[in-house]
Amino acid sequence: MARRISILILACLFLAACGGGGSGGGSTGTGPAPIPGPTEAEAGRLLAQGTFGATEAGIEAVRAGTTESWIRAQINTPPPSVSHQAYLDARLAELRVTSPNATLSYDHFIESWWLASVTGPDQLRERVAFVYSQIFVISLASDVVDPRGAGAYYDMLTANAFGNYRDLLEKVTLNPMMGRYLTYLGNMKEDAAGTRTPDENYAREVMQLMTLGLYQLNLDGTPKTDISGKPLAAYTSADISGLAKVFTGWSWYSPAPSTSTFFGGNPDPDSKVRQMIFYPQYHSTSQKAFLGATLPASATVDGPGDLKIALDTLFNHPNTGPFVSRQLIQRLVTSNPSPAYVQRVAGVFNNNGAGVRGDMGAVVTAILMDPEARNATAADDPAYGKLREPVIRMTHMMRAFQGSSLSGKWQVRTTGANTSLGQAPLLASSVFNFWRPGYVPPATTVLGSRNLAAPEFQIVNEVTNAGYVNVIEQTISSGIGTGNDVRLSLSNEVLIADKPDQLADRLDRLLMAGQMSGTLRKRVLDTLNAYAISPTDLTQANQAKTNRVKAAVLLVMTSPEYLVQR
Amino acid sequence: MTRYSPATRRHLLKMMAAAAPLGVAAPFALQMATLGSAAAQTVPTSYKALVCIFLFGGNDSNNMVLATDSDSWSRYFAARNTGNDPIALMPPGTAPAAVGSVSPVTARTVTRSTPEFLGGVLPITPLTPNPVPAGTNASSRSFALHPAMSPLVQGAASPWNAGRLAVLANVGPLIVPTTKAQYSNRSVSLPPNLMSHNDQVSIWQSGAAEGAKRGWGGLMADTMLAQNGSSAVFTAVSANGNAVFLAGNTAVQYQINTSAQPAVLPNAASGSTLYGSQTAALTLAESIRDVSGTSLFAQDHGAMTRRAMDSAQALNTAFASGPAASISAPTNYTNPVTGVVEANTLATQLNTVARSVAAATALGVTRQVFFVGLGGFDTHDNQNTTHTNLMAKLAHAMAYFDGVLGNIGGLNMRGSVTTFTMSDFSRTFTSNGDGTDHAWGGHQLIMGGAVRGRDVFGQFPTVGVDRAGFSNPDMSGNILVPTTSVYQVGSTLGKWFGLADSQLLTIFPNLGNFSRRDLGFMV
Repeated sequence: MARRISILILACLFLAACGGGGSGGGSTGTGPAPIPGPTEAEAGRLLAQGTFGATEAGIEAVRAGTTESWIRAQINTPPPSVSHQAYLDARLAELRVTSPNATLSYDHFIESWWLASVTGPDQLRERVAFVYSQIFVISLASDVVDPRGAGAYYDMLTANAFGNYRDLLEKVTLNPMMGRYLTYLGNMKEDAAGTRTPDENYAREVMQLMTLGLYQLNLDGTPKTDISGKPLAAYTSADISGLAKVFTGWSWYSPAPSTSTFFGGNPDPDSKVRQMIFYPQYHSTSQKAFLGATLPASATVDGPGDLKIALDTLFNHPNTGPFVSRQLIQRLVTSNPSPAYVQRVAGVFNNNGAGVRGDMGAVVTAILMDPEARNATAADDPAYGKLREPVIRMTHMMRAFQGSSLSGKWQVRTTGANTSLGQAPLLASSVFNFWRPGYVPPATTVLGSRNLAAPEFQIVNEVTNAGYVNVIEQTISSGIGTGNDVRLSLSNEVLIADKPDQLADRLDRLLMAGQMSGTLRKRVLDTLNAYAISPTDLTQANQAKTNRVKAAVLLVMTSPEYLVQR
Repeated sequence: MTRYSPATRRHLLKMMAAAAPLGVAAPFALQMATLGSAAAQTVPTSYKALVCIFLFGGNDSNNMVLATDSDSWSRYFAARNTGNDPIALMPPGTAPAAVGSVSPVTARTVTRSTPEFLGGVLPITPLTPNPVPAGTNASSRSFALHPAMSPLVQGAASPWNAGRLAVLANVGPLIVPTTKAQYSNRSVSLPPNLMSHNDQVSIWQSGAAEGAKRGWGGLMADTMLAQNGSSAVFTAVSANGNAVFLAGNTAVQYQINTSAQPAVLPNAASGSTLYGSQTAALTLAESIRDVSGTSLFAQDHGAMTRRAMDSAQALNTAFASGPAASISAPTNYTNPVTGVVEANTLATQLNTVARSVAAATALGVTRQVFFVGLGGFDTHDNQNTTHTNLMAKLAHAMAYFDGVLGNIGGLNMRGSVTTFTMSDFSRTFTSNGDGTDHAWGGHQLIMGGAVRGRDVFGQFPTVGVDRAGFSNPDMSGNILVPTTSVYQVGSTLGKWFGLADSQLLTIFPNLGNFSRRDLGFMV
């Protein structure tokens, strides 16, 4: 952490000495020969897509190599040495020094989340884990999800960010927090009388939300249709009932499994962070038919074997590549990817070039290396890009302006209120996430009138828009969280506050990847010049410079054009 | 207004349903015959509001409205008194059992979360006998509500007893009248993606799956924008986030906060400053609502912020004075399972709606459509704990809303405000051990002074899954096939709201497939 900040400052000083660089091209035509590789603008775009926000150091790191080498280096960067679970364990121990009965809450989990997301060196990994947390959704808004369990779950998503989708699917499926959230932990086989049927929740949602989606898909992510043009369903309710039987007999970890532990009795201290275990007596042995696979009725109970076949079937389904690829593109790059873009990425999902299916490192690389992600001309299309996620706007501002935590605990607390960011990590209202990938704004909007998806718009309204401006203003002015625990440092900007063009360039580079319009730039300059700097009164001058920077950062952070990542 | 018996209507409904497969021409001709000259548009005068309470997650209405005749009850009890945490409610008249005691009904030890603790379901007697459907072996039908819903049915002034609350039986999305056999054989057009949460939420609200851009509340609001004049922005109002229900062709959903509308700090009002600069404040105010950017995303975002800035002050002013300022806040409610006393989020939203109703005169609006919501109904497990609490919340909030509407600045506004529930779907009739799964048709509640209350509308179905010697004509597997379409409910509400038949047929494209476009539950 300390090392990171010093690097950041060095990089900033270096740039200030260089005069701040150009606003768009990176190569200003003066000074030393430009570093080969991505321009500042290209680096900024990559960082918007693949991190929690650009920083000076981040831009330089990208420019020091190539896009590909940066991605490779990021993939090879391990998660922070202190896992979420370890953080939470230490936090609980600390709390219990003063309050022996203290328990962990959501606020403690997100301390760890903000710490890792804002300061973690494994930015691409953290960003991809955040994407997974919105596909494999569990939510601490539900009281069945435990903060420590959620920490371990997020650790799992992070560790497997660039692993194989099949492994990820299995680890998600066997995780007790997902088991609780989608209610198949403790799920029993049907009874002999046929009165009671297995819980179908996970069987349905693992297909609809995590692997297949509702419709049979072409490789390019478009739905297959019948001769009348109606999309073909990917599965039937019989497939759900069949698959539901597979997810019976799984429950809490225990070193001494019993009927009691199956139903949550005698909990092991680690049962919320360890994979579920199999309880044969509760597993259905009747025939299980789903998606063309048939597991015949058997006298032998083989839960793990059934699970393997089920997950293999889901993983190998032709939908899974395009379904997962399209969602990752939407989270990272653009809300309405072209079918060709989806097809290129889905092709990599299906085969990474070495015959491996589901290699997520290769998939993420393909998403970010694709011409549709990299080509700045493509990004000029008015329909290109996506609304930045509210939480990622905040991480971006913290990263760009050296946010740090007074307490060291990143006590941001929840930002889920509609008068705050209207979004908080791992706090979706249901397994359907904060928004749906297919959300189209109303017909009265320009996006809706063109039938364009805009998932993030699903949580944007009159109240959240006002709330967003206000929470950004407060964060710039005083900080955010318990006792304004996380505060920005605007010292690098104040240094150049009397040089409006340089400051405008700097904000453009850090926040907007050099895409600031002439209109916004003029507004930034007007704002800066609105605060006269006294040539004689040093106190007034310092205050005016600070006000200039605060007003200009607020102006950019809340401008409609900043809010679009493109 | 002639009040004709639901039984007659149902008879007609069955006739029509039977006629429907003949093709579009038959129902269309029948419509013309039954509606006659009613097509002329009603000119609305006084204030009216529709309030949708959306129960997110799929409300298990099998445990909200129950048939208590002995045949129905025994099938119900057999299906649900099973598993590791049985979800069968107790029969009417059962006294609440003390924690730790052994229930005389189930012989199980009672805890706070078991149904035995609550006592029996609460009988409701409809004014009109609901016909006994095929498959039900009874001479007459009797009904009850969930035991946690007493605020709706206890005391002479309660919404049910005072005649302001009705049950709409077995409603769901339907494209055409659909029988069990037609559903099983997929021989008629069915709504897409049945039993999928997000799609069914969308279908109830808009008639189309996820991705829909217009809902029927918004389309009704479209027809009322002009009469709301300069306050048209307050025609379609949500207190529960974005809902396609409120999106029209021209009407735009307006999000209202349960406390004051947050003003944007630099609100562009004269004299407002940002860090001491008026210029900076004005520049910021101009920037955040800029709709001239090239990105379509930026244009839409700017337009939304513009709306927020333009309207927050007017709304806050109207809320801060007159009758809106004196609407009493909801009391806290007690979670019947935990005993914890806490704020009821649904009641809080309805408080905001009541304040809006009270502010209508000041704002000059005469027609409004509201959307509020309550989540947590996806009770795949822990149903006893979760659903009981939700039923208590719903009843507490609806009774509160009914109460405050009775006196808004001295006026009884109940007759002007009609409140109705919707939900993704109802749930499976059978238990999965401690909960239920996704299904289709279910029962809804409707409340207001203009509602023909204390009655059950639509055919209450035969309950119970097929067994040797018993085939339920209303249930396929463990799901109910709806006998009334959501859009029939919507058109009945729309007619009361002041829409002409031609407008309703445009808003509900499949409405013409149904013989009855007015189900008769509105005065």
